Amino acid sequence: MSIIKTCNIKYSYDRKRIVLNNISVEFDLGKIYAILGPSGCGKTTLLSLLGGLDSPSDGQVLFQGEDIEKKGLAWHRKNNVAFIFQSYNLIDYMTPAENVALTSKLPPLPVLERLGLTKEESRRNILKLSGGQQQRVAIARAVASDAGVILADEPTGNLDESTAIEITNILKECAHSMNKCVIVVTHSTELAKNADVVLKLMKGGLYAWK
Amino acid sequence: MNFTKRVLLYISRKKGKTVSLFLVVFVVAVFLISCFGILNASNRLGKDIRTSVGAAFYIRANTEVSMNENGEAEVKEHNVHISQKEIDEIMQTGDIKYNNPINYGFAKSDRIQFIPGDKHTEENNMGKVTALRFSALASSFADKSAVLTEGTHITETDIGKILISEKLANDNHISVGDTLTLTHAGLSEADGAYVDEIPVKTAYTEVEVSGLYQLNRTDASVKPTACIAENEIYASLDVLNELHESETGIYTGEADFYITDPARLNSIIGNVRAMPSIDWTTHFIRTNDLGYSKISDQLSALGDLVKILLVLVSAVSAAFLILLLTMRMRSRMYEAGILLSAGISKGQIMAGFMLEVLSVAIVALILSYVVSFAVKDYIGQNLFSNLQPNLLNDDTLSAVRMKDGIQIKNYLKLSPIKTLLVYLCQVVVIAASTFVSSIIIMRLKPKEILTKMR
Repeated sequence: MSIIKTCNIKYSYDRKRIVLNNISVEFDLGKIYAILGPSGCGKTTLLSLLGGLDSPSDGQVLFQGEDIEKKGLAWHRKNNVAFIFQSYNLIDYMTPAENVALTSKLPPLPVLERLGLTKEESRRNILKLSGGQQQRVAIARAVASDAGVILADEPTGNLDESTAIEITNILKECAHSMNKCVIVVTHSTELAKNADVVLKLMKGGLYAWK
Repeated sequence: MNFTKRVLLYISRKKGKTVSLFLVVFVVAVFLISCFGILNASNRLGKDIRTSVGAAFYIRANTEVSMNENGEAEVKEHNVHISQKEIDEIMQTGDIKYNNPINYGFAKSDRIQFIPGDKHTEENNMGKVTALRFSALASSFADKSAVLTEGTHITETDIGKILISEKLANDNHISVGDTLTLTHAGLSEADGAYVDEIPVKTAYTEVEVSGLYQLNRTDASVKPTACIAENEIYASLDVLNELHESETGIYTGEADFYITDPARLNSIIGNVRAMPSIDWTTHFIRTNDLGYSKISDQLSALGDLVKILLVLVSAVSAAFLILLLTMRMRSRMYEAGILLSAGISKGQIMAGFMLEVLSVAIVALILSYVVSFAVKDYIGQNLFSNLQPNLLNDDTLSAVRMKDGIQIKNYLKLSPIKTLLVYLCQVVVIAASTFVSSIIIMRLKPKEILTKMR
């Protein structure tokens, strides 16, 4: 059984420009999914609908068979999904450890350590970390939240090639070793190569690519 | 992580933003409290002056000047004749706080060698006696040409008490608390000499020196001994009665009345003039509200100025606070988006923002309360020091127990309810601005916020 799926979801801006049209797709645990597509095709919108940041114009998003609107989108965001953004989206007045603790009841330091941050780095001002380290903190926050689904929007978009590979490997580890469902929206073919399933979004429709 | 911890982290880590908010709230609070304090003081001072020493009127006798057969001017002085019953009737016309009837006479004492005047002899060795209810209200003390240097003023409850000049006391080795025997006397002129009209003494009374005064004015040099200012004896009303120079309840000197509300002066005088028991052909009323008028204009101008200032300060402060808080909230949109994407509810995020602002504001308000005392004190000294009522000075007022002097500091102090109300208004403005600016962010969908953040 899929952990999260969409049933005929539609999304349009101002009921004029249709971005997503009757999309039905299922995502399983233990896999990493890459969603590709040209800019403005609705990749981030699809991710937002899966994560409960927005509601579809029509159709449903089901988490473990239950409509996410039923318990509320905030509840869905808090308990079922975790986000990783291209711009990391960390709170600047908190240390890495505090950022992780924002959504997790688990001790943050072991998670951060596992993702390659030392204890000293975990207590440093977040703005004094490199981009790669900040993205690791964002991933640690997603991992520590204990959510089944990790939604990543261009997670390697701001990173250099070697760091992007490292982050890709971490995401793969999240899916394969931690049995999470990782859905990544990306332009990176390198990341797509490492995905278990690649989907392409074009003209409002979602198609299997790999 | 709960929102209180988040609030603590923000306040402690974003020191610049915390301090700027603290300073703005603090300065605004000090301004507002000070302005309200000044407004309060000007209102209370005006009211106090009006209701305690605003005006007085005096019933005095006419002096009749006529020409005799030889073409020489003849001056005829009438005596006031007013009874206690008439004073009581006048008091009932309302808003009269104190009356001070006066009798005049002359007295001698074996223990006193008066300061010699023109054509001084042992026979005219006498002093003028001014018997009254409140010596502090006598014109010499009220206009500060005489000041009490030792002892206490005569008040309405005193019996057998006198005040004498310091010079007279020193010359005769008399101190406060000493008792003297006075006898009656009368001054007249016969064959170019000043003589005692009452050569046979039948009335004596024991008096106690309750105070000494000092004159601040120079006296005319050519005067009979009895008319020299430093020989004047201020006495309680009973003293001249005991010397058979006046009757109990009948006053022949003058009668002074101090009213509570100067605005009612004309109507009170109208009522008094309508009293048939007083012969108005030989009496006249003199009013005195000049001091009040002068102060009233100053106070009214100050009150208007403070009101305008207060409206301006309140409006500018509120606008500045709203602007600052709105900008502050807008800069938190990024954080709100992150927290929303992490599943933290809008209510919790808003509660966090609110707690953060209010906790800084409350500390600033508490500190401003303490600092405002010093500010109000400074303002009070510089703004109100010239606004003391000059009809009667503070010492005089205290002496007649009309009031304990005017305490500008107390006038600047706002009542706890008013202070609380000012602070409450500020807290409401702060909370409302935070709420409204948070709502502007919070009514957006999380996706919209995150899109704006890019």
